[in-house]
Amino acid sequence: MRADSMRMEFKIALAGIVGAIAVAFAARGATTADAVAGRAVFEQCAACHSIDGNTGVGPTLRGVVGRKAGTVPGFRYSRAMKSATLAWDEKTLDGYLADPQKVVPGNLMPFSGLPDEKQRADLIGYLATLQ
Amino acid sequence: MIKTLPNKTVVIVGGGLTAGLAARQLTSKGVEVLVLERGVDHTKGAEAKLPTQRDELRWDTHQGLMQDWSVETYTLRHARSETALPVRWMEAFLPGEGLGGAANHWNGLTWRWSNYDPQLRTRNEQRYGKAAIPKEMPLQDWGTSYAEMRPYHELFEKLFGLSGKAGNVRGTILAGGNPFEGPRDGEYPQRPLEYTEAGLTFKAAAESLGYKPFPSPAANSSGAYTNLDGQKLGACQYCGHCERFICEAQAKATPQVLLYPMLKQRKNFEVRLNCHVVGLTYDRVGKRVTGVRYVDRLTGQEYEQPADVVMLGAFTMSNTRLLLTNKIGKPYDPVSQTGVVGKNFCYQLGGGVTLFMKDKWFNPFLAAGSTQTAIDEFNNDNFDHTGLGFLGGAGIFAAMYHGRPIGGRRLPPGTPRWGSAWKKANADWYAHSMNVGMQGSCYPHVENYLDLDPTYTDAYGLPLIRMNFDWRDNELKISRYIAVKQAEIAKAINADIATPASTLQTPFDARNYQTSHITGGTIMGADPKTSVVSPHLQHWDAHNLFVVGASVYAHNSGYNPTGPLAALALRAGDDMASYVERPRML
Repeated sequence: MRADSMRMEFKIALAGIVGAIAVAFAARGATTADAVAGRAVFEQCAACHSIDGNTGVGPTLRGVVGRKAGTVPGFRYSRAMKSATLAWDEKTLDGYLADPQKVVPGNLMPFSGLPDEKQRADLIGYLATLQ
Repeated sequence: MIKTLPNKTVVIVGGGLTAGLAARQLTSKGVEVLVLERGVDHTKGAEAKLPTQRDELRWDTHQGLMQDWSVETYTLRHARSETALPVRWMEAFLPGEGLGGAANHWNGLTWRWSNYDPQLRTRNEQRYGKAAIPKEMPLQDWGTSYAEMRPYHELFEKLFGLSGKAGNVRGTILAGGNPFEGPRDGEYPQRPLEYTEAGLTFKAAAESLGYKPFPSPAANSSGAYTNLDGQKLGACQYCGHCERFICEAQAKATPQVLLYPMLKQRKNFEVRLNCHVVGLTYDRVGKRVTGVRYVDRLTGQEYEQPADVVMLGAFTMSNTRLLLTNKIGKPYDPVSQTGVVGKNFCYQLGGGVTLFMKDKWFNPFLAAGSTQTAIDEFNNDNFDHTGLGFLGGAGIFAAMYHGRPIGGRRLPPGTPRWGSAWKKANADWYAHSMNVGMQGSCYPHVENYLDLDPTYTDAYGLPLIRMNFDWRDNELKISRYIAVKQAEIAKAINADIATPASTLQTPFDARNYQTSHITGGTIMGADPKTSVVSPHLQHWDAHNLFVVGASVYAHNSGYNPTGPLAALALRAGDDMASYVERPRML
């Protein structure tokens, strides 16, 4: 059990490093976050996620950037998300939004991911404004 | 002791789709609405969340979201000479229970019916002569028209964010859509759902035969959508758990996603759950309903809820039964063919060809409720019936809407029912089979009707509805005619194995799922002698009573029934608001 969770943490740390490199490369290109465009991308999330602090079908995304994964009070998370030792920042959100099942296997969000890197960056830029 | 409650302006029986739509119109005009729903709110339950949402055994096989057949069922006989017996486990049609009703577990296929459907008798008489309609087929006009319903179709489709491809915009026929649909104001609110491999296979074959295939209009959201009321739908994930399930991705347009959460915010709206309506209080002299009687299922307490206006928005059978048990309107008598309540009870016909193709990957698990590619050349009166000996027809389609482990198994004829050979056939064909199906119109017959069973009662001691129903000559002929067309399409597909096209068999069997859509019993029309409610859905014998739903259809078309009943529910909401302002026969 313990060894498993350590291995998981190691994997996640590794994913974080890979993610950081990816972002560093992306930053050198033209990908800068556009929060206004991100708001339009957010339409794809809005049926389940509120931005006003209310719990809906999914947890609220107010304050998501900087939050530890699986910690909105009152929301019933999957075991996978509760035990994911992740903090949501630009890197972890980018990885998760690209392929939710790859980053947190077994999580229950019924969404297959945003393949477009620019859309993810914009969305994360928008999410960062929701404090 | 019955407790009498304070009066409400409009009381709606049944918290399903029609109630939500009518309440939207009423409350936005400032009219107070109370909805009485016998079931619970499913939105926070295991049925609306992963992973339990995917429990096929619980929600599908065991009908976890449907009416509890041990509390209330229907009896069935195929002829008046028989004694009806209760259907102990129903598969033919699936009434929902709980806020949202059957629209929680629907597939999402949303048609406007043919623009001549509301004037079907006139249409057939004009085209084929009066003698072409058999004496035992009481086809009736509805007293309304497509033109009158059209603005409400437009509104409903915008509210529910339909995905589709227009085939007729203001009379201009557009390629890729259904050329037989009634004229629309514009494109569908959202682009069509993705084609399935089965849909593409069907499309190519249909086109090779000169037909015009199109993606069926869907209430499964092809993208993220915000409607006129600011209510939101997520994008469909094609998970194959749509019909018989609640969508956990908020991607299926239902009253529980788009209507009730909004209505609950309105001060003039109230919904009471676990309230089973057992009766209406009828003032025969004043021609009014003064209130609704219901039992609180949690306490057993019975209440009288007085109302200025009552709307019946329950299931087809329940709408009819409440009129019969409370003696509102004259029951239909098949011998003298007089009376109206229970008349023109219709179902729909199915049937199809199953195809097996070794080299095609159909991947049936990747599906939405309405991933269906169809042709309408042989539906209803879209073709010339001269000399055919029947009226009506059927839509023909490839409907790939799930590949679930229990129900989603297509196996070639001759496969053993169990053992290693059965397992091997499952493995060989699961991803490599598809179906060419049909949904056929069912026109009324003088011996197909609903009345009260003389023997059997439900858990509340109320008589069960008795279905007097069987397939008639007209349906059998449609089935045989369509089977030939399906076989031609199957031949053009050129599969490794193709079953023969199945045709309708008598007697009607309630143990088999066919199309789930029953209609009639409280039919609408312009003549009080032959209809229960007026063209405004106002009861002829109780002017403050409105009946809404497929129970008002005077016949059943070759389409899923939701579109017109939704349009009529929105219109009834406006009509009831006008009635509240100035009570009168509209």
